[in-house]
Amino acid sequence: MHHFALWLAQSRASLAIQTNLWVIPTVQSFHIAGIGIVMGSVFMMDLRILGWAGQDQTLSQTARRFGPWLWGALTVLLSTGILMVVGEPVRELMSLAFWLKMSMLTIGVSTAILFQHALSRHEREWEQSRVHLRSTRFLAMLTFLVWFSIIILGRLIAYDSVWGRWSLMPVN
Amino acid sequence: MDFANFLGSLESSGLAVTIRESLYLFPVIESLHVMGLTMVFGTIAILDLRLLGVASTHRPFTKVASDVVRWTWSAFGLTVMTGLLMFITNASGYFNNLQFRWKMALLALGGINMLIFELTTGRTVRRWDQDAIPPFAGRFAGALSLIFWIGVIFLGRWVGFTTGGHVTPGLDINLDNLFK
Repeated sequence: MHHFALWLAQSRASLAIQTNLWVIPTVQSFHIAGIGIVMGSVFMMDLRILGWAGQDQTLSQTARRFGPWLWGALTVLLSTGILMVVGEPVRELMSLAFWLKMSMLTIGVSTAILFQHALSRHEREWEQSRVHLRSTRFLAMLTFLVWFSIIILGRLIAYDSVWGRWSLMPVN
Repeated sequence: MDFANFLGSLESSGLAVTIRESLYLFPVIESLHVMGLTMVFGTIAILDLRLLGVASTHRPFTKVASDVVRWTWSAFGLTVMTGLLMFITNASGYFNNLQFRWKMALLALGGINMLIFELTTGRTVRRWDQDAIPPFAGRFAGALSLIFWIGVIFLGRWVGFTTGGHVTPGLDINLDNLFK
């Protein structure tokens, strides 16, 4: 992975980003705004499940309101994220926080896909009974924590020193 | 005591020293700051998009507002607290940073925009609550709010790149080096 990161850092695309110092802060800012949209969308869906907001809306109405924004923002996050990896490959790919974040991201995205799928297939059941299950409410809180951890881990990419000897960065 | 002294005393306070000397405190505080600000932006955007007549248009404005506003304020509280903690670690550095000043100015403008909305268009909400597209002044306030908050995010990121940050940024890009 270190060799790959070093190779990527020498690529023309990476050098272009490295030499234009405004690119990384700009891309990071779009990335943060994108996370805001994701957090807002996930949060409102979770609040609806918990019964703390949007009680005049059905689950499906809430999912239709926030689903497209969630997927749209995730697309922005993926493209800006790729730009950041290409621009600073060693910093990203050799960071423990980055890989932990990617693992949590896989869980967060799979949960969202599975939930949307389950809701569209068993709409009546979800609206009438499943939404009130303790396990569903527990999952709603858990998914919020998953996205919460994604934000924390994302910021910790900048602070590889916090991992001490767990750091993936090769010692020179 | 003049202002420069005040900033200096913030920097030398026990709390500021503790944060500066810890390997974990600053990164954790900054992460919580990002968490807070994404929640502020994510929830206020829901309300602004409703004001613009772009999303949630079939729901009354006041319903959407009652769903999000308290969360926006809670998240804003977290962001201000963590922001203050970061500020005291390098008070004069941040205070003299141009991007930081612009960020504070945009925050103030955001507050003024909200206040004007509350005192004018917000007062007549009963007349347009159900309308898919609120009156022009409301849409204008919504657009301004989105622009101000996105501006705050950009300037905040730029503060991090121009004040050097807490940990010596080995492989990280540091715009300070540009001028050395």
